[in-house]
Amino acid sequence: MLKRIIHFIDRTNHAISSAVSWLTALMVVTMFGIVVCRYAFNIGSIAIQESITYMHALVFMLAIAHTLKINGHVRVDIVYQRLSEKGQAIVNILGSVFLLLPVSIFIIYISWDYVSSSWSYYEGSREAGGLDGVFLLKSLIPGMAFLLLLQGLSEVLKSIDKLLDKPHGR
Amino acid sequence: MEGSIALWMFGAVFIVLLMGYPVAISLAGTALAFAFAGQYVGTFDESFLEALPNRLFGIIENDTLIAVPLFVFMGVMLEKSNVAEDLLENMSKLFGSLPGGLGFSVILVGMLMAASTGIVGATVVTMGLLSLPTMLKRNYDPALACGTICASGTLGQIIPPSIVLVLLGDVISSAYQQAQLDMGIFSPETVSVGDLFAGALIPGLILVTLYMLYLAGIAFFKPAACPPRPKQSNDQSLLLDLLKGLFPPLLLIMAVLGSIIGGIATPTEAASVGAVGATLLALIKKRLNITQLKSVCQSTTQVTSMVFFILIGASLFSLVFRGFGGDELIEELLSDLPGGVFGAMLVVMLVMFLLGFVLDFIEITFVVVPIVAPILLAMGIDPVWLGIMIALNLQTSFLTPPFGFALFYLRGVAPASIKTSQIYRGVIPFILIQLLLLGVLAAWPNLATWLPSVIYG
Repeated sequence: MLKRIIHFIDRTNHAISSAVSWLTALMVVTMFGIVVCRYAFNIGSIAIQESITYMHALVFMLAIAHTLKINGHVRVDIVYQRLSEKGQAIVNILGSVFLLLPVSIFIIYISWDYVSSSWSYYEGSREAGGLDGVFLLKSLIPGMAFLLLLQGLSEVLKSIDKLLDKPHGR
Repeated sequence: MEGSIALWMFGAVFIVLLMGYPVAISLAGTALAFAFAGQYVGTFDESFLEALPNRLFGIIENDTLIAVPLFVFMGVMLEKSNVAEDLLENMSKLFGSLPGGLGFSVILVGMLMAASTGIVGATVVTMGLLSLPTMLKRNYDPALACGTICASGTLGQIIPPSIVLVLLGDVISSAYQQAQLDMGIFSPETVSVGDLFAGALIPGLILVTLYMLYLAGIAFFKPAACPPRPKQSNDQSLLLDLLKGLFPPLLLIMAVLGSIIGGIATPTEAASVGAVGATLLALIKKRLNITQLKSVCQSTTQVTSMVFFILIGASLFSLVFRGFGGDELIEELLSDLPGGVFGAMLVVMLVMFLLGFVLDFIEITFVVVPIVAPILLAMGIDPVWLGIMIALNLQTSFLTPPFGFALFYLRGVAPASIKTSQIYRGVIPFILIQLLLLGVLAAWPNLATWLPSVIYG
């Protein structure tokens, strides 16, 4: 059962991260297109300009959780790298429970009114001709925290599993 | 004292960080715990926390920082298509027949690969894996080889278009605005990432030159420490091929840099051109297929989310720090120092140097610079000069034994036959060069501020 929860969370975040990662290539192409249009033809579009911001936000906000899974977030590893696997598991459990979970829950809580007031009038772009999805953009804040919360849970379960694991072959 | 809790919080976060949990969450989590405790005993006003969603949205909306994923994409593409490797190989073929030639190639490639070196570790590891075995095989003095690799690996930070300069430029730009508003200037002057790039160019090139002079000195006085490659008969016919291999990546980097410093394109625009150029290079070299592209996209995504997550964690941390009056406390401390501006700058530099032993460039940029920069700038320090001094200072810190980041990373990939003491011994001359340049730049700030003032007026 626990294994299935872990598996489900990991797979979800992996899928989301893989999906948004293609946007990095699209950002490059779009930005390049903007540059060409601007310098060669002197035309520009606010909507396309803003689409870069949207892609950028999707990429980094939604991939944070998966980056946690693959241990891609920087650690101060002076002590950590010298710990045994179990020692590292303990650090990860403590960190997830006392740091990650409160932070993600807090971000969801504190951004709730901010985001729902934006939804209440479907907040659009401040620029004329911009993309009218600012409420969606703002929703990424609790969205990021929610995915992070899930991934934190998965990491705790995995670490507990590692702690309980009998040392094999010795 | 009013803000002393803020200092306690700094101490606490340091201890939590040493535990080794990811930095971004450690920053945010510790700050949150202090904020809750402070609210409970009534020393913290919760309205500071309510500013958080708006801060986070500010990160999402920030235009300058869009350059980050684009530069990362360019760097990862160059790395995955082995352009860096080819460059190093070609350069060492070109210079290999000279004493110290291989060392020169390492320094030059370190300089050119600036775009892909947001993080110190990556370059030092790449260079260490690529060139250390060759240098040892050619009977280079191990200490000299290690020193050259470590120093060249950190070079990418100060040479534009490095990613950390983009981040630093953004932070300093808003600090500069804030400093001027605090002084009652309501139409503040601005400073941009482009200014910082232009400002870093001359000090960066001086640094490269000094590295090369040192190596040339060794080659002249102790040729046995860096012997040339044994003569080969086909040296001449290779030359044309080599130049062909060298030219495209050089052109790409020059084009990106030139268009930013020349004021033609913004860093974000230039980054996209660079990324497209890097992709074309990879295509021409037939090293790009859909699997490769996928892995480039995924690495880019991972690095980008890592950088921005630190920014998110740091923004919660600095809100709470401000809520406890930490800003005013630091301001008082810095302005009460003897020696005025000079004293304040010296202390900030020393503190950053020490923090550099534990924290990466990105973390210091997002956590420490927003706290100290507005104060220093309000004292009349030039923003570009401050940025370059910080970058040089941190680069030196990463090289300094026993805690410098670069040394750890090289140790990780160096063969066991290399003694750690040899690595330490090898970097010392480079540290002295760094300190020399810091001193020169402190004495003649024009070295940093002249070029931006000519270009941007």
